[in-house]
Amino acid sequence: MHFSKDILLIDCEKEESRICDFIREQIKNMRREGAVIGISGGIDSALAACLCVKALGADKVQGLILPEKESNPISQEYAWKLAKNLGINTEEIDLTPALEKMGTYARRDEIVREIFPDYDSSFRMKITLPPDILARDAFNFFTLTLQSHDGQTFTQRLSKKALNGIVSATNTKQRTRMIYLYLYAEKLNYLVCGTTNRSETRQGFFVKFGDGGVDIEPLAHLYKTQVYQLSEHMGVIPEIIARAPSPDTYSIPVSDEEFFFRMPLTKVDLLLYAWENQVPVPDICRTMELTDTQVKRVFRDFESKEKASSHAREMPATLTD
Amino acid sequence: MERRNRMPQDDIKANLREFITENFLAFAEDKTFADTDSFMEKGIINSTGVLELLQYLEETFEIAVEDDEVIPENLDTLNNLSAFIEKKSSGSITDKE
Repeated sequence: MHFSKDILLIDCEKEESRICDFIREQIKNMRREGAVIGISGGIDSALAACLCVKALGADKVQGLILPEKESNPISQEYAWKLAKNLGINTEEIDLTPALEKMGTYARRDEIVREIFPDYDSSFRMKITLPPDILARDAFNFFTLTLQSHDGQTFTQRLSKKALNGIVSATNTKQRTRMIYLYLYAEKLNYLVCGTTNRSETRQGFFVKFGDGGVDIEPLAHLYKTQVYQLSEHMGVIPEIIARAPSPDTYSIPVSDEEFFFRMPLTKVDLLLYAWENQVPVPDICRTMELTDTQVKRVFRDFESKEKASSHAREMPATLTD
Repeated sequence: MERRNRMPQDDIKANLREFITENFLAFAEDKTFADTDSFMEKGIINSTGVLELLQYLEETFEIAVEDDEVIPENLDTLNNLSAFIEKKSSGSITDKE
C-alpha cells in the first residue's frame, strides 16, 4: 500500500461495529454480564466507555472514577460529564487513603529528598524524557523537575536507582486502580475493559498489572490518531477530545509527548505504522519531510522501547513438560 | 600543585569492557562484543542501563556528563565511550592547591 499521511484514516462506522462485535464476543466467551471501565477523563477511556455502552447497553456498563490527590481536578470533572452523558452507573473512589497507607507518596518523596534535601509536600513534580527526538538525538534518560510554592524550578537527571524508586512508587497508582476495577468486576460478574491504544501497547506505555491488568483491550489495534477519529465519530465530549493526552500521574501536568513519546502523536503514529510495515525509509522521508537520520533515530527508539517492555506484554514465563 | 593521573586509552577501554560485561552481560551466553558494536542495536544496554553507565563514568573517571552529552555518538560503542572519556578527562584536568 502506498505510504501517505492519510494512511491511518479509518472507516469509523465499520470500526465501531467491529469493536462492538469483539466486546460482545468476549463477554460471551468469558461468560460475563457486562463491563467495568475506569474513566480517567482522557480520550482513550472515554472512547472505550462509549464502545462498551454501544456494544452492551448503558445498564451493562459500570464506570469507576479513581482519582488521587495529585490527579488533575479537571480529569474528574470531564470523567463525570462523560459518564452522565452515557447514562452509566458510575462511582467515584478517592485512592489517596489507600495510596497513603501503601506508602506511595512517602516512598517516592524519600527518594526525591535524597536528590533535593529541601523538598517537601508543598513542591510539585514531574519526570520527563529529553524533548523532540526529531530535532536532536539523545538516549532516554528521565529528568526530575520540581517546582517550589514560590515558583522556583529545580531539575536533575535521575540515576537508575532514583528512577526505579520513583516509578515503582508511582506505578502503585495504576495498580491500585486495577484492584478496584476487579473488585467491582467480580462483584457484578463483569469483565474489566482496558483502554490502552496501539501506540502505547507496542512501546510499553502502560503499567504491567496496572492499566495493563484487564480482560479485554478493544483499542489495542488502534493508533492514537485513530482513537481521535473514532472518538469524534462516537460523540466523545469535545472537552476530552480537545485536551492534551497526559498520564496524569504527577502533580505538574505533563503530556504523553513529554513523558514518553518525545514527538507529536501524529508523527508517532505515522512512523510507528511505517516501522511496523517496513515502509522503505526514502518513502517515509518524502512523505513526512524527514531526513534519513531522523527516521532511523526514531526507529531505534521504537526498537529500544519495544524490547524494554516486551515482558509486560507476555504471560508469566513457565517451564513446559 | 598536583595533576590527576589520566588513564591511558587502552586501560579505559579494558575498564569499560569489564564493567559492561559484568553488569550488562552477566547472564548472557555470548559475552563478546566488538569495539565498534552498537550497545543499543546489539541489545547490550537499554535505557536504564545507560543511566547505570553514566553513574559509573562519573564516579570512576571523575567527570560530569552533561545532559546534552547523553547521546549515542558519545556512549553507544566501546570506541565512542573511551574517546568520550578521554576527551572529558583531558578537559577536566585542574590544578589543585
